[in-house]
Amino acid sequence: MAAVKETIDAVAELERYKYGFTSDVEQEFAPKGLNADIVRFISEKKGEPEWMLEWRLAAYERWQAMEEPTWAAVKYAPVDYQDLFYYAAPKKKEGPKSLDEVDPELLAVYEKLGIPLKEQEVLAGVEGAPRVAVDAVFDSVSVVTTFKEELAKAGVIFMPISEALREYPDLVRQYLGSVVPVSDNYFAALNSAVFSDGSFVYIPPGVRCPMELSTYFRINASQTGQFERTLIIADKGSYVSYLEGCTAPMRDENQLHAAVVEIVALDDAEVKYSTVQNWYPGDAEGRGGIYNFVTKRADCRGDRSKVSWTQVETGSAVTWKYPSCILKGEESSGEFYSIAITNGHQQADTGTKMIHLGRNSKSRIIAKAVSAGKSDSTYRGLVSVHPKATGVRNFTQCDSLLIGKDCGSHTIPYIEARNGSAQLEHEATTTRLSDDQLFYAQQRGLSEEEAVALLVNGFVRDVLQELPMEFAVEAQKLVAISLEGSVG
Amino acid sequence: MSALFDIDLADASTFPSRRTEAWKYSDLKRYLREAPQPSPTAAIGAPGPFYDLGGEAIVFANGRAVGVTDFIASGDQTLRLRYISDAVGTGHSAGARVAARAGARLLLLETHEGAGSAYVAHNTLELDVAAGAEVTRIVLVEEPEDALSIAQAQVKVEAGGVFRQTVIATGARLQRVETRVDHHARGAHVQADGLYLLNGARQADLTSVVRHLDRDGTTSQLIKGVARDAARGVFQGKIVVERGADGTDARMGHHALIASERAEIDAKPELIIYADDVQCAHGNTVGALDESALFYMQQRGVPADEARALLTQAFLIEVVDRIEHEGAREVVREWLTARL
Repeated sequence: MAAVKETIDAVAELERYKYGFTSDVEQEFAPKGLNADIVRFISEKKGEPEWMLEWRLAAYERWQAMEEPTWAAVKYAPVDYQDLFYYAAPKKKEGPKSLDEVDPELLAVYEKLGIPLKEQEVLAGVEGAPRVAVDAVFDSVSVVTTFKEELAKAGVIFMPISEALREYPDLVRQYLGSVVPVSDNYFAALNSAVFSDGSFVYIPPGVRCPMELSTYFRINASQTGQFERTLIIADKGSYVSYLEGCTAPMRDENQLHAAVVEIVALDDAEVKYSTVQNWYPGDAEGRGGIYNFVTKRADCRGDRSKVSWTQVETGSAVTWKYPSCILKGEESSGEFYSIAITNGHQQADTGTKMIHLGRNSKSRIIAKAVSAGKSDSTYRGLVSVHPKATGVRNFTQCDSLLIGKDCGSHTIPYIEARNGSAQLEHEATTTRLSDDQLFYAQQRGLSEEEAVALLVNGFVRDVLQELPMEFAVEAQKLVAISLEGSVG
Repeated sequence: MSALFDIDLADASTFPSRRTEAWKYSDLKRYLREAPQPSPTAAIGAPGPFYDLGGEAIVFANGRAVGVTDFIASGDQTLRLRYISDAVGTGHSAGARVAARAGARLLLLETHEGAGSAYVAHNTLELDVAAGAEVTRIVLVEEPEDALSIAQAQVKVEAGGVFRQTVIATGARLQRVETRVDHHARGAHVQADGLYLLNGARQADLTSVVRHLDRDGTTSQLIKGVARDAARGVFQGKIVVERGADGTDARMGHHALIASERAEIDAKPELIIYADDVQCAHGNTVGALDESALFYMQQRGVPADEARALLTQAFLIEVVDRIEHEGAREVVREWLTARL
């Protein structure tokens, strides 16, 4: 019953949003607003090659010609793109890159967040304990990446994308924008123009990455947009598990986070991508919070390649994202496991796309949504089968749970089959917490809130099981914390 | 033209394209860029598939009413509603209004009977089901393969009313049967079934929106379809449970067979829910005939084609079996069997 105890502990130490602090790190900003000069400024700041600047400027031009989409089932005050800082970075002195050189203020921030940045600390743990290499992104830049050397011994490249642009320009150039093209959508175009950092991962053929890789995103500065770009390339026969976490301070304003994640999986490669998204969701009246408009897509180019997305979405005022798989390779497979919890005035429109182009490709979608308070949650997903893709299989299950009278929960799946041999199954249910179960749990001494947390943890269990161990525990606590105040 | 229906054949700017979300899979604008010339008058030929079941009749021939266009049912009544098209390259619209008084029982037998070619038909129906009334609507749609046809119905069900519907569509170049049903008051029951059987390059689109505006309503929907050759079947089903419509129980199922390499099925089963004390579910499957069942039948001496036809019939007939009115059920069964 360890899991139950975890939940109870988590509920006992409830705080509204414990990552809501701000830190006084000395920062430098680009001037407010967006124009070609800002794009040039960011590119220059990063010391990027000429082709990269041109790529960004082309993206900026495309973005200007595009209109902001409005089809999602979310409502939000329009973003003033000229009233944002597009670049905010902690000031750092030129010099050695070792951890000792990192601003102690910054280290304190990550300590507070519970992110282990000191390798020795990680190593000092129990022998055999899982280790995680971390790339910490603070506003617009990556501040530190751990375990780089050890990973390099295995041939794994794990570094900020700005560094990769300098050290492995050919590799980046080959793959950047090949999964999410510049003109893919409004926010992807914006990201392409102004992205400032993010992680770059390359796993060489046949290598099983010796540890979990993780990126930790932190928005700190106010009136700042965060635009990070992650590119993961899993070469033939390789394996990597990648984790992503995010938090932001509590502020009355809405902040924009428009990231792009691209994954390329070649023959027999496998990528497991897990997200625990805990951006600041806004206060009880719906003031403030992050707009999380993210494009995540995996290209299963190789035969028998596999990509698995797992997401726990508990934060953000507005979430709008669809981690997708383009299943090009024969017998390639895509998986999507999602928990979306909304409370207060949060809104989430999330789901996935499984695009079957390769023969005998398979996909599996398990989405669990929990809505409480005055929140709205939508599952929107596409399963499409190309005429030439024979033998395709898909299974989709979407379950929604409603807690309270003022929330909403919606399921909007699109199924497009153009091949006679496809087998597609979809099922969805919407219901509320069972009174009997609640009564049973309360009768045995749990408070109503504890009982709800326990039942919801049971409801989302199928997905929690897909998370790596380190994340599963954190996610379980998050489930309880996110639902605080939803009953009684 | 009623304000309930937003398409006007005389005004091309009202034709939806796939850019309109609700018409994503039926791009009318692609086939119809300009308003069609009005259809000439047409004669009424055969008596229609439901003639033997008797009752009153509302008949439109190329959009022109032959007699009344409105009907109010009381007691136990049967109404045949016939939209007859016999035109070449022209367009016509027709609108009927039907109501069932409190406690009435109405069997509404609707047929869309098409002859000629490449015509455009837009037929609408407003149907009010009063408290405690019971309406069974059977819709048979058979049209030329190059016709464009849109049938739209707006149904309002009052407290304790029952509305049952079964649509049988065989497709056209673009054929859409759209039903919007409101549970307008508490305790109504709606059954919104349908099937499509498509050959050649035909397309059929069964679209429904069932809104629960009040408490304790139940909705049950079973749609089945078969797409052969290069045909395309579309199902869009939306169940909306508005705030306060607690006690709702809604179930939706769509199951389709793709019987050829080139056929296509597009489905969008939606649940939009704003009340928490509800039970809602939908299921959707798309696949081919069960190979092991085919093998079993062949092993027992049934030729492959016949086995396939039998299995397809067994698959579709479940929808027909749910029609409660025996006479109507038998007509539909024969009608469907003849087309298998």
